[in-house]
Amino acid sequence: MDQILVQTLHGLVNGMVLAMVASGLTLIFGIMDIVNFAHGDLLMLGAFVGASVLGVTGNYWLALLGAALVIAALGAVLQVTTLRPLIGRDPLTTILATFGISLVIQKYALWQWGPSVRRISEPVPGDFTLFHLQYPWYRIATAVLAGLILGGLWLFLKYGKYGIWIRATTQDRLMAQAMGIPVPLVYTAVFAIGSAMAAASGVLFGPFAGVTQTMGFDFTLRAFIVVVVGGMGNLGGSILASIFVSLLESYAAIVVSPAQAVIVSFVVLVLTMLFRPTGLFVPTPK
Amino acid sequence: MLVLENVDAHYGKSHVLHGVSIEVRSGEVVGLLGRNGVGKTTTLKTIMGMARRTGGRITFEGRDLHGVPPHGLAGLGIAWVPEERRIFRLLTVLENLRTGLDRAGMTPERREALLEKVYTYFPILKERRNQAGGTLSGGEQQMLAIARAMMLEPKIILLDEPTEGLMPRMVAQIQEIVHALHRDGVAILLVEQNVPLTLDAAGRVYIMEKGAVRHHASSAELRADQRVIHEYLGV
Repeated sequence: MDQILVQTLHGLVNGMVLAMVASGLTLIFGIMDIVNFAHGDLLMLGAFVGASVLGVTGNYWLALLGAALVIAALGAVLQVTTLRPLIGRDPLTTILATFGISLVIQKYALWQWGPSVRRISEPVPGDFTLFHLQYPWYRIATAVLAGLILGGLWLFLKYGKYGIWIRATTQDRLMAQAMGIPVPLVYTAVFAIGSAMAAASGVLFGPFAGVTQTMGFDFTLRAFIVVVVGGMGNLGGSILASIFVSLLESYAAIVVSPAQAVIVSFVVLVLTMLFRPTGLFVPTPK
Repeated sequence: MLVLENVDAHYGKSHVLHGVSIEVRSGEVVGLLGRNGVGKTTTLKTIMGMARRTGGRITFEGRDLHGVPPHGLAGLGIAWVPEERRIFRLLTVLENLRTGLDRAGMTPERREALLEKVYTYFPILKERRNQAGGTLSGGEQQMLAIARAMMLEPKIILLDEPTEGLMPRMVAQIQEIVHALHRDGVAILLVEQNVPLTLDAAGRVYIMEKGAVRHHASSAELRADQRVIHEYLGV
């Protein structure tokens, strides 16, 4: 019983971080039909930028904000220089382009920061006792913060002028243009927002396991799984799927080793593709 | 105001418009009649920059539209009400209207006034303002599509088959709106299959066949002599 509660908490915390990563990926896919294979690498780069800002200023929150802003700007530049010229081409070209960006970012990180693990110290110190386990407060703070950021994103998309522009463009690009919405700009902005979400997740996740230049791929893969399970381009679905998959993995880790528990997410992915390819959390397939 | 001179257009390799010349003057309602597939919708899409124009010139208030990005047309005063209505289905009615309302230079008072005006024309939209656009009936979606275009305070509306598939009561209401817009001084390029409605609403009519304009006359002439209508439209 204790173990189940601990694993529930664990799953929720991991799910919230994953939800942040996946939200950026799904937002970009929803509006541009681009599967961004560099998403995890933007996360990794964000974590490194965060670690550097932290090293200079000693302020974690400044690091979080700095990483998000720097990677948002980088995302905007990447979109304009590499993806905008490919709009309307075969989807394969954009997949190859983002894959290329992924490799470039990885090699840049290796060259700039080396192969060793960088630590980001926890901004919220201390543990609390959960049954017989010392559970760090920081993990709770991360889940809450991720929830707040996602809530902010949701409010922005729901009520903000630019949020409505983004949703309108996602649904009908041509009609959005006819209504005077500057669609190319919206694309760039969404790519920047998605990149910023990735970078922020990287800084949030940093204290859990450290920052390495290879951490990105794992996140891309996991985020991609939950984006498919939640329904491609469906933000709410991706968030629910992140929590759902993370909880399942946590529970599985009670029975098998955590490394094996990862298999659960692939099983969920395969079952989703087989029985509900439009996503688990899409109420009525369009 | 809106002038098409010898416009050619292609979809992929097929040549769909052959030297179309049409003029709509300020505040004027002009009809564009023709059977299915003669290029009426393509003409509107070419104006909107959504079909590939391969020849000729389109100017609006003397300005060449070549090089104006598709999202720049709304700002010039050109609004489009497409045949398929293209409501943002997951956006609420109010959010659909906001896509045209949230533009630079709008004060809260002007937004309110504009919304109220549209709600007076279409009371049903006020009732349903928090409902998703995709849940509206066909007629209500048509009203929303027109209302959404009105949010841009356009100088001209490109209105594509607004009465297609609607009940007679709805058709009468759309006709009413076309008259009201005309009274407000908005020019309309009306693409229709409904001949009586077009002849009633428009001052002049162009008749298209096989991607080209074949005939051009005032509505009064066409009403007096139905032979042309019969020849090109078979009604």
